[in-house]
Amino acid sequence: MVLVDGRASSSEVIRAACRLATLQNVSWFAVQLDSLLYSKVADERVSEDFRLVEQLGGEVLQIQLSNAKDIRELAASRRVATLVLGRHLGHRNRRMMAILKALIQDAPAMALHVVAFQAEQPRRVSLPEFPGLQSLAAATLVVALATGVDLLIRSHMDLADLVMVYLLGITFVATRFGRMTALVTSLLSVGALDFCFIPPRFTFAVQDVRHLGTFGVMLGVGWIVAHLAERIRAQARMALEREGHASALNRLGGVLAEGGDLEAIRARVETYLRRELDMRVLVLLADGKGDLNSSGSQNLGSDEAAVAQWVLEHAAPAGKGTTALPGARGLFLPMAGTEHPMGVLALFPGGQKLAVEAERQSLLTVFAAQISLALERAHLAEERTEARIHAEEEQLRSTLLSSVSHDLRTPLAAITGVTTNLLSPGPSADPADHRMLLSTIHQEACRLQRLVNNMLDLTKLESGQVKVQKEWVPLEELVGSTISRMEEQLVDRPLQLDLPEAWVPVDPVLFEQVLQNLLDNALKYSGPGCPILLQACVDAEQFALTIADQGPGVPEGEEQRLFEKFYRGNRGASIQGSGLGLAICRGIIQAHGGTIQAHNLPAGGLQIRLTLPIEGAPPELPPEGYS
Amino acid sequence: MSLANPLVLVIEDELPMRRYLRSTLQSHGYKVEEAITVEEGREQARRLSPDIVLLDLGLPDGDGLDLARELRAWSQVPIIIVSARGREEDKVIALDFGADDYLSKPFGSAELLARIRVALRHTAAVAGAVTDSVVQIGALRVDLSSREVSLGDAVVHLSPNEYALLVALVQHAGKVLTHRQLLKEVWGTAVGPQPHYLRVYMASLRKKLEADPARPRLLLTEPGVGYRLKA
Repeated sequence: MVLVDGRASSSEVIRAACRLATLQNVSWFAVQLDSLLYSKVADERVSEDFRLVEQLGGEVLQIQLSNAKDIRELAASRRVATLVLGRHLGHRNRRMMAILKALIQDAPAMALHVVAFQAEQPRRVSLPEFPGLQSLAAATLVVALATGVDLLIRSHMDLADLVMVYLLGITFVATRFGRMTALVTSLLSVGALDFCFIPPRFTFAVQDVRHLGTFGVMLGVGWIVAHLAERIRAQARMALEREGHASALNRLGGVLAEGGDLEAIRARVETYLRRELDMRVLVLLADGKGDLNSSGSQNLGSDEAAVAQWVLEHAAPAGKGTTALPGARGLFLPMAGTEHPMGVLALFPGGQKLAVEAERQSLLTVFAAQISLALERAHLAEERTEARIHAEEEQLRSTLLSSVSHDLRTPLAAITGVTTNLLSPGPSADPADHRMLLSTIHQEACRLQRLVNNMLDLTKLESGQVKVQKEWVPLEELVGSTISRMEEQLVDRPLQLDLPEAWVPVDPVLFEQVLQNLLDNALKYSGPGCPILLQACVDAEQFALTIADQGPGVPEGEEQRLFEKFYRGNRGASIQGSGLGLAICRGIIQAHGGTIQAHNLPAGGLQIRLTLPIEGAPPELPPEGYS
Repeated sequence: MSLANPLVLVIEDELPMRRYLRSTLQSHGYKVEEAITVEEGREQARRLSPDIVLLDLGLPDGDGLDLARELRAWSQVPIIIVSARGREEDKVIALDFGADDYLSKPFGSAELLARIRVALRHTAAVAGAVTDSVVQIGALRVDLSSREVSLGDAVVHLSPNEYALLVALVQHAGKVLTHRQLLKEVWGTAVGPQPHYLRVYMASLRKKLEADPARPRLLLTEPGVGYRLKA
């Protein structure tokens, strides 16, 4: 614990306390010893001292102690081991010495360090501000008023009562207009009293020497009242400021509580702080490698970026108003996370506010801590999401593995079984059986081929290897080419086409694969002879295509699961398939920037509808002359 | 060239594939020779002058594509690529390199034999030098000398570009022609015009020649590769 009294800059005392605390590896804090007489200079010194304390990593207690008893109580409650106080060489330090003596006599269980330091030359003498004309007029008016009242009541009252009226006026002025005005009021009051009431009246001469005592008391009381009032005003100002800080923190909390990802929080905090502090503010995020995110530092000059990087690495504030790199343009506060630094808060006060005063800086430090907490929370949430996605991928991979190994083994088992049968030296089967066995091998081999192709396609799609090369293609050609490839499957199945004569921008190879998979699906999941309807409509902005069958559809609520990998509907077991076809369709359509959905039709059957965006128009051909 | 028993050179490193090809081809009256590497294939092709080459792309000592280009430099022998590389880009490259056709593994024997027949017929036509001036495919009849196209009894009027496109396809009936090859045949350069041109004229050709353009029977699309006239 270090005591600061503002009678002289205590920087040496504070540094000594910091060294001690570092040596003993304990935390430390500073507290202010109140001044009996308020002084603006002392107040500024205390602010400066507190700023130093914060920069050196100490805590500042915003309370004021007035005597040894207060100190003992605080020391006991905070379990203070060492008290550091300063002895200003060249001053008598009576108050400090009295406190020291009291502390030594009533020995608390703590060490006392007294640091003697040389008085520095006062850097600037700030004159008490001279009261304005308005205040002087008010003072005169108050004195005149008091004199008027006294004139009315003087025949009934003692001199002491008349003095009281003046004191009332002085007190009033002190609370409203400040110390200097109150002092002026005191002087005026003394003058008025002497002139109007002290015999001989209407002269400034004094007959009775006792009245000089009265004047003295009046002036003394005026002086003390002025100081007390000033102190109360200062405390009220401080309380107001603290309230302001608390509510600012509160609002920041609200801003942070909105959540979102790192980038969202960064943007919101920047806007909020810019409005709140009325200065340029940047929230610079750190990346995983301990460097500043390039996106944030784009707005910084190279010098500023270097300062910000330094702050990130050293987790200490730097820039204007701090001891580190005070030449930098702006104040840079670290936002330390629990594990690694989250970033840097960069503030650029406008020209008139050269340094950020201590009060504000401590508030900003709290801001930085709050923001870094929120950022860290968002960061952890992102990590958690990533971990979940990773786990889901793992899960999917194992599903894929088990499903694939099953789907691959089944046809292989059939082929192996049938061929060993054919190769066995037993009695040769009759030709019909022989043919049946061979066609089994063929079917199973085809099934294997489909599965392998599908898996390869899906893998390519998912790994992003597939590049969609859109070309303008007549819808007719796409459908025609698909139908001619599926001729065998379509032999006994009526396929109704309802196609406009239109050109659509698609990757022809990929899109035909979609058509083939959709048709194949419709054929497989509806009864033999059931018609299939393929419709399309095209307008200037999009192209929609539907394929409807008259099969049983899918269970309610499972429509979108159709497009998941390995989803095999409720009749999956009885129908051959890998459960990959529609997943491939979705992959391709999404790569085209389109959508694909499934619906059960009210009249029965399943409809799959896909839409693709259309941008631009097919290129015009040069006209061809008939020869 | 012995058209009765054409000689097929199979350049393929996988034994099971060689076995399958040999048995299928021999049972259909082809003579079969085998090579396993690019080196061996080049040497055999020089020595044996096969009637047709079945070429795998992934060979132990090099890429079959290079061999195809090399063979094409000094021989008109039809080359059918037989490969597990199924991507359209690979097909286009192989065809543009001078291969006559492309079969993706796995394939059935009917498919294989049909492609071989088309390739052989095409060489026979080129070798015969004087092709018939009239080509008849189903109901479609193209008279190359009078530039007249008819469908059944009805005469079909085509624009010059449509006609040029149809002729290119007719002259290579059954064979896939890549976009680049067709553009070169019709416009004389493969650089300027885009596949889009082809699609436009193909669409109008289909409208004039196909009963239902959405279910083409004649003018078939090979997605991502080109077009083929069904022979």
